[in-house]
Parts: sequence; C-alpha cells; structure tokens
Amino acid sequence: MLQDLLSIHKPNFKDYTELRAQVNTSQQVTLLTGNMTANNQSATGGVAARVYKGGTFGFASAAAYNADSVANVVKAATDNAVFMDTHVKKGLEPLPSYPGNRVDLQTPHFGAVDQLLLIDAAKQLDELVQKQCPNLSSRTIVSNVLNMEKLLVVSDGADMRFFQPRAMMYLIMTAETKDGDQVELFKALGGFGRFDEQFGDVSKYLDEVNALYEHLMAKREGIFADPGMKKCVLHPDLAGMLAHEAIGHTVEADLVLGGSVAGPNLNKQVASEIVNMTDFAHTAFGETCPLPVYVDDEGVTAEDAVLIENGILKGYMHNRDSARQFGVKPQGNARAFAFNDEPLIRMRNTVILPGKDKLEDMIASVDDGYYLIKTGNGQADATGEFMFGVDLSYEIKGGKIGKAIRETTISGVAFDMLKTVDMISDDMVWEVSGFCGKKQPMTCSMGGPALRCDMTIGGR
Amino acid sequence: MKDIAQYALQAMKKAGADKASVQAGQDRVEEFNVEANKFTLLRTLFNDTLSLKVLKDGKKGTTSINKLDKESIDKAVEDCVALALQGEADPAEDIAPLATNKDFDQTIGGFDAAKLFSRSKEYLEQVKDEFPLVMTEGMTAKFTAGNRTYANSNGVEFNNKSEYYEVGSTFQANEGEKTSSFNYYYHNLANLDTPIIDMGMKRTLLDEAVRSLNPRMFDGKHVGKVIVTPACADMLWYTLFGCFLDDFSMIQGTSRWKDELGKKVVSDKLTMRTSPLNPLIVGGERFTSDGFESADNDIIKNGVLSSFALSLYAANKTGKPRALNTGYSLEVLPGDMALADMLKGVDKGILINRFSGASPGPSGDVSGVVKNSFLIENGKVSDALVETMVSFNIVDALNNIVGISKETNADGFSVLPWVCLDGITMSGAK
Repeated sequence: MLQDLLSIHKPNFKDYTELRAQVNTSQQVTLLTGNMTANNQSATGGVAARVYKGGTFGFASAAAYNADSVANVVKAATDNAVFMDTHVKKGLEPLPSYPGNRVDLQTPHFGAVDQLLLIDAAKQLDELVQKQCPNLSSRTIVSNVLNMEKLLVVSDGADMRFFQPRAMMYLIMTAETKDGDQVELFKALGGFGRFDEQFGDVSKYLDEVNALYEHLMAKREGIFADPGMKKCVLHPDLAGMLAHEAIGHTVEADLVLGGSVAGPNLNKQVASEIVNMTDFAHTAFGETCPLPVYVDDEGVTAEDAVLIENGILKGYMHNRDSARQFGVKPQGNARAFAFNDEPLIRMRNTVILPGKDKLEDMIASVDDGYYLIKTGNGQADATGEFMFGVDLSYEIKGGKIGKAIRETTISGVAFDMLKTVDMISDDMVWEVSGFCGKKQPMTCSMGGPALRCDMTIGGR
Repeated sequence: MKDIAQYALQAMKKAGADKASVQAGQDRVEEFNVEANKFTLLRTLFNDTLSLKVLKDGKKGTTSINKLDKESIDKAVEDCVALALQGEADPAEDIAPLATNKDFDQTIGGFDAAKLFSRSKEYLEQVKDEFPLVMTEGMTAKFTAGNRTYANSNGVEFNNKSEYYEVGSTFQANEGEKTSSFNYYYHNLANLDTPIIDMGMKRTLLDEAVRSLNPRMFDGKHVGKVIVTPACADMLWYTLFGCFLDDFSMIQGTSRWKDELGKKVVSDKLTMRTSPLNPLIVGGERFTSDGFESADNDIIKNGVLSSFALSLYAANKTGKPRALNTGYSLEVLPGDMALADMLKGVDKGILINRFSGASPGPSGDVSGVVKNSFLIENGKVSDALVETMVSFNIVDALNNIVGISKETNADGFSVLPWVCLDGITMSGAK
C-alpha cells in the first residue's frame, strides 16, 4: 500500500494544489486458440502535482516516489503554473473553495493475485469452450486484472486514499460461414473486485459460454441488415453504451465549452418524457455501483450528476474550473487514469434509468425492425451524431425474433433519437468491461434498460 | 541506460533465464494544453520504463515497471522469472540473434519552450483571424526527449536517443446553435520552423470545418466512387493490418490472406509500405521490441502481398516471414493521377476526410458514418454531408482502385496520397 509521503507538504501549499501518488497494477494472460501469447504483469506508478494560478494550471510528475521526487514535482508544477500565469495572463481569481472530509479506503486494499489463478482460469475457460463449442475457427481467452490505488492530498477539499480493483475475463469466438467469411462474437465477464472471487470457479459461466456460442452459430447463418431508419429494440448492453457515448460525452462541460451540441440545449427537451439519465457517483438503486467514486482527483466529494430528467437536459458534468465558469458546484467528475495524467472530466457510472415496460412486450410490439444486442465499439460527435458497430443483432418480424444479422452499424443524432424512445424496460444491466478514451483511457461503468426507438441501420 | 539494461539482463540470466531481453528507457515530456481556444495547462513528465522478458524451458514471462532503481529491478526480475516458470512452453518464443549492435541519435537540439509556446499562441491567433467560427476544443503541443536501450542474452544491444515535437488539435466550427462535426489533426515535427496552421492538411481541414456548418444528407442509395483523403488513414490502411496482416489475425488463422504471400491481392496500382527510415517520418522506429534493427518493409507491392506485419513470435508460429519493423510509419506510394483530375472523374460520390465505423470483422466488411466529408457532384466538391453511411468490403474496394494521387500528405507519422475507389455503397440515413 502507498506510503503517505504527501501530507507533509500540505501546510506549504499556497495556490490551489493537488498532490497525488498512484500505482496502477495489471496482470494479463492471453490464450489465442490454446497458445499462451501473453503472460504479463506490470506496475506503473509515481507522483504528480498540479497547481492553479490565475486561471491556468502547472503539472509535473515523476516515476520515482520518494521524499525528493515529491518535493521536486511540487516545485516543477509550481514553476509551470507561474510560467503559464506569466505568459497567458488570464488574471482570474482563485478557484472557489469546496472543503471536504478525508475519505479512506472504501474498498479494502490487496496486492497482486497469484498469476497461476489467471492462467488456470484461462485454461479452464478454454477447455469449457472447446467442449461446448464445436466448429469454431478460433477462440481467444483473456484473463485481466487492473487495480488502481491512489493517495490524494489537496490544498482545499477532501483528501483520500482510494483503491479500485477490476477483474475481467474476455472471450472471443470466431466461426466460418458457408461462403468462407469469418464471423466473430465477444463476451466480457467479471467486473469490480478480486479475480479469485470472480473466477475461482469458471464453470459458473457455462450459461454465458453456451449463449454466446448459440448467437455465433445463428450469426454464421445470418443475413445482412436492410439499411435505413428502422424501429429497434436496444438491449440494455447497447443502451448503456448509448448513454455513455452518444449522450454522456456531449454533456461533459469541457466539451460543452468546446462547442458541443449540448451547450444551447440546457433546460430544453432533448428526449421523450420517459427518459431519465444520471451519472452516479458510487451508489445507485441502493447498491454500490460497479466503479464507485467517493472523492474525485480534485478532492471534490462525489455526488450524483443528474443529466436528463423527464426528457429535459438538466446539467453537465464538471471539474472545478468548468464549474466556476458555469457558476455551479462540481460533483466529483475530475478523474485521472495514470499517475502522470492530469484530472479530466470523466463519466463514472452513467445510466439511463429503467422504465415500466417488459422487454418481451417491447419486442412483441415491433412488426418489422431489429433487436440490437451487442456493440463492439462506438463513437459520438460534438454534434451528437453517433455511430455504433453492432456485432450481435436479430431481425424482428411480426413481433418475433427472426434471423441473426451479420456485422452492421447504427447511427443517428442523440437528441433526435432520444425523442423517439417510447418504451423503456423495467430492468437494467451494468457494463464495466472497457475503457473510455479521451486523451487518457479511463475505466467507466455504464448501464441501462432496453429501449424502443427509431434508429438508422447500416446495410451492405 | 545501457548500464541499467545490462544490469537487468545479467540479473535475469543469474536468476535462471535461458534467454532474456530488456528494454529500459527514460523520457521527459513538456506539453502545453489548450481547451476551448485558451491555454489551460503546462505539463512536465519524467517517465521511466523497464520491460523484461524471460524464456525458461521454452516458457515466457514478461514484466514491465516504471522504476529504474536496483531494488525495483531486482524485484521485477524475480517476478518475471516466476511468471515464466508458471507459463506454457511454446517453441515459437525466441529473441533476436546477434547482428550488428548500433547506437542511434535522433536528437534535434533540445527543447525550445519559448518557441513552442509562441508557435501555439500564433496558431490560436491565426485560427481566430482566418477561421473565426472555428473552436479549438483541445490542443496539445509537446516535446519529447527519450533515451532507450534494448539488450538481450544473445548479445544484441541497441540504443536510441530521440527528440521530437508533436502538435495536435481537435476542432469544430460553431455558429449560433449550429455545430459542425469535430475533426482532429496531429503532426510530428523535427523543428518549429513552420507555423502550425501551415502544416500538412491543417488549413484545409479548418476551412472544411466552417463549410460543414450547413450539411445535408446523401440522397437515397448509390453505388459509386469515393475519394479517401490522407486524413482518413484508419478507414483503409490500418483496417488492412487488423483484418489480414497482424499477429492476431494470422495466429488465429482468420486472415483471408494467410496463404496469399507473393500473390496479387489488390489492384496493381497499390504499393503500401511501413517506412520508419523515410526522412519524412519523424522519430521513426530504429529497433523493434523483439530486438531487430528496423528497416523499411514492403507490405503490398504493385498489388502483390509482399509481407505480413508479423513479430518474431508470430512469424515462428505461422511459418511466415517476420516483418522488418513493427508496422508504424505507414507509406502508400503516390500514383500518376493529379488530385484535380481525380475529382473530375467522379460524377456522384463522396470526399471522405474522416470515418466513424465499426471495427471490421475478419471478413473485411466495413460500414459506418462519414464525417467531415463532402458530396462530389459532376467532378466538383459541393455540400458537406451528415448522417451519411458508406459500406464496402475492403478487399473488393482495393481491387477497384480508380486512381492514386500524385500528391501526398506527410504528417510525420505517415506519408499518404488521396485514393479514389469504386463500388462503394453510399446512403443517407433516412
């Protein structure tokens, strides 16, 4: 666990200052069609300081973490802040004060798990796939651990000690179609917590393996989508990605200041009245979120950020500086991925809230459309225009699930599409497997219920 | 750095490694940041890296840390050997044989903070003057100085000292409640002699951002020609690597080109290489992570598949030749068609500057939304497009190359021409 070499400097902070020590440790094992192509451990850590002066920041970091390096980065960050203040001359007042109480380890700290656990789990899952899933052209199994430990001291705000463990297994299956093409499906298993607790017995994922294989065999016989605007039911997995990419990014205040479409739409109707969306800090629906944030990397005590309420855009996500510019209170969205990253405005646990409908009724209500289940990737624009690749989907004909669809894409403009949402399921699914990219990577969780809406489908 | 690398190497051998390799490095980064047209931050980073690989009884362990002190190295060596002992034997695992050891010097005279700041400030002022509707949503202007050593137990040792600048920005145009799609452009530089706004396609893309404020949707569905600009490298060139050329697709056996080495796979108009030694590439790779001196490498020559992009491990695994570099520094050789003539040859099509698409599967089927892109009508670029999709199979498309431009764009990372493709499906969203 990180030794506290930071607090001793706190009495000497003059301008607004953050001082953060951090270690990210990762472990990975990859079996590529039975070949162990990766068997790796890494640890990346160090110390960083950021200082605010007159409207700009200075930042410095060092890989070494000792008394000298801590003192050096504070000095270097202060020098950089002075350089910027002198050259840029914004002449702004100090950042508003947000005092907070120190938060210590909401999650117990632990060290690296035995690599054999990752190897054994990968082998067991590989054996399970070989046994259950004949006629694959290839299979890939990845065991992955990412643990993030932080120690933060700020001149004004809540100091914290933070630990966030994530343990995942990724399964990719590929099969050949009758015309010689390859089709592929991907499944992420796991989430927040220890690897051994989640994957000590891999056989508990038998249903997920079988389900993925069934979908792959259906996709192998799949057809290409009929392009155009279609009535669609979005599976909760896909709705979560939509919440994050298509809406979440446009309401990050730095992107709003940069000209995103959300700027002119505050307090306006951007979705149908049944749509509600929140970026939860650490607790949602009475339970701890998949990636809880209690204090952010600017020492702001984290609160939920309500983004859309009854279809009205109610607010943005902020850091201290953007909150000052908008005249609001920051809610703990400033997060840094690595020790040498500066905090950026990032989502935490971003969710479209469940509604009142049943998924089966939603599918039954579509005469000619698509059931979109799984996305491989997605991107959104400042305009709100988004695009997702859809790896797994089915046609809906006469209210019933039909043939599987080969790879396709969906696209639209977020605020236009949200206005077409007319049914929302009463359940929801969290998704926590990937990384969000915005200058730095970041672990984020996202979630949602199933949505019925109009969506543009790409064809061939 | 050489001493640290040799210390780690000896420690791994002493700990029982049959074969071992190490990469040790230190770099310093100075970076100015801009958000929403205004300077926000100056960052100074002191980074250390150490990557170890141990082979023991044919079993591999790899460890990476960012500490270079003796205690940390000793612990990393211990961990790496332990990982190898837990691993699986694989005869394809190896390290590079001894060749000619070399020291490389890619330094450019050190960091000029005042010049980088003034060039960045000048850029913001020029954008404000020439393109007042453009918002620089984010910009980084940085200098990196690195010192990196590779060594292995076969006696290989390379060292590279490098310095370079990198300037990149994300931008869009705004007018009232109208917003254009964001676009971005990054450039690696060996000096700061040229104003940022004059680098590569920067001014063109800024102008196109403004012209994109009033876009329209593509009418209906049409199969025909598109022109892909150098700013849209990921849609074509990097897709080829992921689908057919890299370690993953070849070891998986899903590459449809796995048995096509030496055969014609695309139009004979296309020659594509990875060229880290090209003088237009700034800070190009000098040695690979598996211990070979880097050289330029033809991937496709006159339409014939000349090489995959395989590491030593993947080459041993698949029985195919190893690539001569890691696969960065992409170069597509220019053709014989002037860009103006290329445009004249398109009656109805799209000039594609950016593409937002799904990761293509092993089939090479590509579909997605074009961004920052323009309709071409009767040989002329006309309206900006929105909610417009294209779809094609990348092999089919590259067998339907109408022409490759004489003109190329070099951004320090790559050297690419404009390419006109036929048989592309274009459609409006509604």
